[in-house]
Amino acid sequence: MGAGRLIIGLAWRNVRHRPWQALLLLFALSLSTTAITMALVLAEVGDRSWDRVSRATSGYHVDASAETSPDMSPAQRERVRAELASLGEAPGVIAVGGPWRGAHVDAEIDGAPLRLRVQVRDTDSAAVDQPLVTAGHWLDGREGVVLEDGLAAAAGLQPGDTITIAGQRVPVRGAALTVNINAYPTDQPARVWISPATAARLGAALDGGGYQLQLRLADPDQAESFAAAHPEVNDTWQESKSESTHDLEELAAVLVTLAISVVGLTIATAGILVAGRMAAQIRQVGTLKAVGVTPGQVTCVLLVEYLAVAFLATGVGLAAGTLLAPPLARLTDVLSVYGAQTPSITWPRAAIVVAIVTSVVLFATVRPALRGVRHSTLRSLGGSTRPPHRAGRLIRAVDRLPLPLAVRLGLRSTTRRRGRFVANTFGLTIGITLVITTLALRDGVNGFRQKGLSINDPDPISRAASIANQDRMSTLGFTIAAFIVALAVINAIVAAVFSAQDSTRNHAIQRALGTTPGQTVTEFLVAHVAACLLACALGIPLGIAFYTTSTRGPLDPIGLSALTYAATVLIALLLYAVIAFTPARLLARRRIAPQLAYE
Amino acid sequence: MSAVVQAEGLYRHFHGDGVPIRAVDGVDLIVDQGEAVSIMGPSGCGKSTLLHLLGGLERPDAGTLVLGDQRVDGLSEAAWARLRRRTIGFVFQAFHLVDELTAVENVELPAVLIGSPRRAARRRAMQLLERLNVADRASHLPDRLSGGQLQRVALARALINEPLLVLADEPTGNLDSHATNEILRLFAGLREAGQTLVLVTHDPRVAATAERLMTMRDGAIVDDTRLDGGAPRQAVLRQLAGWEA
Repeated sequence: MGAGRLIIGLAWRNVRHRPWQALLLLFALSLSTTAITMALVLAEVGDRSWDRVSRATSGYHVDASAETSPDMSPAQRERVRAELASLGEAPGVIAVGGPWRGAHVDAEIDGAPLRLRVQVRDTDSAAVDQPLVTAGHWLDGREGVVLEDGLAAAAGLQPGDTITIAGQRVPVRGAALTVNINAYPTDQPARVWISPATAARLGAALDGGGYQLQLRLADPDQAESFAAAHPEVNDTWQESKSESTHDLEELAAVLVTLAISVVGLTIATAGILVAGRMAAQIRQVGTLKAVGVTPGQVTCVLLVEYLAVAFLATGVGLAAGTLLAPPLARLTDVLSVYGAQTPSITWPRAAIVVAIVTSVVLFATVRPALRGVRHSTLRSLGGSTRPPHRAGRLIRAVDRLPLPLAVRLGLRSTTRRRGRFVANTFGLTIGITLVITTLALRDGVNGFRQKGLSINDPDPISRAASIANQDRMSTLGFTIAAFIVALAVINAIVAAVFSAQDSTRNHAIQRALGTTPGQTVTEFLVAHVAACLLACALGIPLGIAFYTTSTRGPLDPIGLSALTYAATVLIALLLYAVIAFTPARLLARRRIAPQLAYE
Repeated sequence: MSAVVQAEGLYRHFHGDGVPIRAVDGVDLIVDQGEAVSIMGPSGCGKSTLLHLLGGLERPDAGTLVLGDQRVDGLSEAAWARLRRRTIGFVFQAFHLVDELTAVENVELPAVLIGSPRRAARRRAMQLLERLNVADRASHLPDRLSGGQLQRVALARALINEPLLVLADEPTGNLDSHATNEILRLFAGLREAGQTLVLVTHDPRVAATAERLMTMRDGAIVDDTRLDGGAPRQAVLRQLAGWEA
């Protein structure tokens, strides 16, 4: 009990004495947990939305159809219909919707021509696939049309408006959702449902279509085998669900990739923070050991401190991720139709986030903590930190070049803390990768809008909807990229601040020998710009690869100009130099004597 | 003999918990060329601060300081740095080698700073390391060297630009008796070679390598004695040996 209180008390004192470091770690971990939660929520939210609409509409398990031609007589059409209807008597079928007559017809909305997939529906509620009305009301005995919700949204139509179908003006009665067809403009032509009265007015325009039958089965898992046994079946609920949530699954996959990057970045940031704090706390560790605190208890103090921050970050991340996921999901066309709902925090999801963030903290804490407690008590009391590594061959080769002394010393200092250099370069590389991906995405979307749509999509309403979708996806991409780049910047700041702390003694020695403050600042900047240059060299090809693999399909291959790459490198170097300059300058302004007297 | 150091009315105060501490309180000091001066006194009397003021690592709150023929108390940080390169060599108790540079790289650093060609700087550094018997450790990083070796490397670094003045702050404070004897021999050699030296120490044996002993108390020089050998030197040093280190 006493030991536990001591550990908690010491951990709390550590947090209180260095609140900014704890806050920085909390912020980095919170970003990470938010990203993980969003990825988990998005992976689930698509399924939930599809299931919700399917339940509300008595969604089909199998969908069958039969075609008719304009030259068929009414009797021949009736035979086709009856033959399709007989499928409803097959074993395993528990409910039947249709057969419903339908056809593809020309239409006009506000003067813009488009094709529509018209289906004639009864005014009574169907046993299968009764569309879920989202605006206005369902068909009644009067003339009228109900629009698929995506079309109503894209065209801006409300109940009471009028559209032209096969030359006939038809009043819009409402808008509705179904899982039988993907939302417009993903699936084209768009689905509309018309009343029998309207069908009678359209007359021969519907003759060239066919019939659609939708069935529910006693065992939905038998849908595939049912489809295999009946050639009239052309779609199952599994295929529909998979297609309708495809965008979201891709988004979730991209988010998971990014979340992994964020976790990596957080490990880098946390690692730098913890290792940096350990370097500063070596003397304190020595003091604790000298007064009888065991190495295990010292490790516990550090673990309690960081795990407390991690659990707090988990709470923040779960709440933020759950709140942010639905607006993020609405940026996709699928959920703009199915209507994303905020899922509640589930225990499994919370457990996954806790497990990941705990692993991050353990990974980042245990090694430096153990290293700290392994030091002899006397060595720890002396305050000496781990000696640097010997310069590698590359650095020694560069050292022989006729470079200014400050540059050579700066390059040499990159070997001082290799782990930190690698962590910093890793963080910057992810940042550069995301910047290149974002620039390419912006270029790709612009190109898609300028040429792709105008050639392939003559339908102006669909084109406008697609453009809006692309804009939403671009916004999504930019938001995520900004999120990651912000974390990379935090990582860079943390690395710069702790490098400055670590360089304090060496810079003071050099100044005592005659190095000017300007030279020590240059030396510090060189060490950091070297990491940034390496990150650019790695991040640019990685960015190209990430864009190419994650945007296969509609967007053009990457086509950024050499000037863009050069500008990215230049801006990254300048930005990073600014980040590193502040701690370097502060370091150079400190008095020399106290820093040398410390030991 | 011309004066290498001329200090007049040097003050340096610190503020600890709102109470001003007079670390250096109106010190007047002249050190002639080729003279070796030891400064002794109890802990906290201000001797290290005085040394830091002489080397520009601290700035005086008041007073004048002349090194050679240049008044330096008002110099900027960068100007002090440039002056230290050629004029001052430092030896610290904690050695203070740059820990990512090898021994020989540490020694040649001040020479490279004044613009010496790198080959020439390396040659000179190796000569000094040979003279101080640590040439075989030239390519080692500081964490691979013993205390005595570290201090010899630090001394070589202090001497590489043949400075006007060597300032040593407790140069044997972290050394065992064997290493202390080695360093004492080196300082004695420097004095005989005419190197101007100011040593701050608790150790009477180190103080005995100088020809002049100053005693500080509460930031002021309270005694200034010439140790010309014979009875006065022994008497003074015996008295000082009783001080608490």
